[in-house]
Amino acid sequence: MSERPVFDPHHDVLDRQLVDVNGTFCGIVDALEFTPTPQGPVLTALWVGPDGWLPRVPALLALLCERVVRRHHVSVPWRHVREVSEVIRLDVSAGALGLGRADRAAARWISKLPFS
Amino acid sequence: MNKAAELFLGILTAMGGFVEIGELTFTLGSGVHFGYQLLWVTVLGTVGIMAYCEMAGRIAAVKRRPVFSLIRERNGFGAALLTLVAANAVNLLTCAAEVGGVALLWQLMTGWPYRALLFAALAFFIVVVWLLPFQWIERVFGLGGLLMVVFIVVLWTMQPQWSEMAAGLLPSMPRVESSRELLLWAYMGVALLSSIMLPYETYFYASGGIEDAWTPSDIVTNRVVVLVGFALGALLSVALTGLGAQYFGPRGIEPQLPGTAALAASVVFAKIGLGVAALGLFFAFAGAAIETALSAAYNLAQFAGWPWGKSKRPREAARFSLAWVVVFVAATAVVMSGVDPVQVVEVSIVFSVVVLPFTYLPVLLVARDKKAMGEHANGWFANVLGWFYLVTLTIAALAAIPLFLLTHGGRG
Repeated sequence: MSERPVFDPHHDVLDRQLVDVNGTFCGIVDALEFTPTPQGPVLTALWVGPDGWLPRVPALLALLCERVVRRHHVSVPWRHVREVSEVIRLDVSAGALGLGRADRAAARWISKLPFS
Repeated sequence: MNKAAELFLGILTAMGGFVEIGELTFTLGSGVHFGYQLLWVTVLGTVGIMAYCEMAGRIAAVKRRPVFSLIRERNGFGAALLTLVAANAVNLLTCAAEVGGVALLWQLMTGWPYRALLFAALAFFIVVVWLLPFQWIERVFGLGGLLMVVFIVVLWTMQPQWSEMAAGLLPSMPRVESSRELLLWAYMGVALLSSIMLPYETYFYASGGIEDAWTPSDIVTNRVVVLVGFALGALLSVALTGLGAQYFGPRGIEPQLPGTAALAASVVFAKIGLGVAALGLFFAFAGAAIETALSAAYNLAQFAGWPWGKSKRPREAARFSLAWVVVFVAATAVVMSGVDPVQVVEVSIVFSVVVLPFTYLPVLLVARDKKAMGEHANGWFANVLGWFYLVTLTIAALAAIPLFLLTHGGRG
């Protein structure tokens, strides 16, 4: 049986937690974007959002999900990845990439409540 | 960090799993119908939940990875999404039953209208979880749940039939007179196993370990917390089975209301016994409601990669905080619709057994992975236990729904 390659994006990156430069959780890697080059496909971006995960669910479930969620995704350029370990650490803030918008909107609302 | 205080995480998790309203119904019911014949299922389930919570706690200490993050990574998106939906449906239904149980207990004590008390329970839970830090939730509800020990004392005072009890600890064929009774025995066994190994215990326990900032130096603490917490839960479960067999069964009482168990305490210790038992039940039900609501929020946040944790301020984990509030509101709406909380939890427990293999497989795969866990990976004993329980739970999962239908939800 052959050994797994040293770095396998499908195993080491897909479905891993994204953590921004401030240590804030800002989504999970839902899909990988590869760009073809003469040397072979190169990982260029990570997708976060329904465009990334919808093709990964069974067709019937995907049809159901499409009725509930709006199709969109945020693309995180691979050059912003600082470290790949148990989590994927980025070198920029979630806000700069457009990640975690819903959390910031909810936080603005929650901040108005006592003891928040 | 005060290691002794960590015990409360184990006690709260175990109380929320072992003596929540559903387990209470099934343990008392198994005692009433089959005496001590199903006691071995309690032992089987206790060792199983100890094995898997220990693994999940160890992963949390070593990798700081909660269970749902592992489920998503190891099972893939589609299977993880289905597990999330099923697990959170069980969390919601169980939370609904516990909120209803708390309102019924308050009604028993005050005589106030049930629906008004449901609103009061909702407000109580939201205020308590919003204001109390995670460690204080562990301590208050873990410590309060210890009042349930009164049931062990009550059974002891009633002089149980020790020889029958000891015989019940070993698996044996049921002493039944018809195929209908045999099906009921099998249904009670599967439901009892499911109610002890409820999936939310593992989600909550591992997330709690991360909330308590466990590190690899806490691996021994994790083991002690699991052993002490769940052994205590199992003892309570045995005591409740005994009360079903010794007190309720011979008197032909079918415990259908969550407060029924407290009656046994009043027989031995009069008003004080009733008060302590009712207070213990309150802390156990309330602990389980908080455990399930937080579990649902943990699962969702960990699946989607949101910031999470009760140790954060609500605005720092905004969607997580909204999620547990929504679960409490939805759970109250479920019982407000008029359904019986005990029936709700009976259904949720039977269906939760179907989620169990999907929850425990990724935990086992990571815990035994030497590349991921290094020197803290499972030894042979943990691996044997892990695979044994995975096979057992898969068989139970396949049998659960047919048995539920054939026995009309345990009503024969």
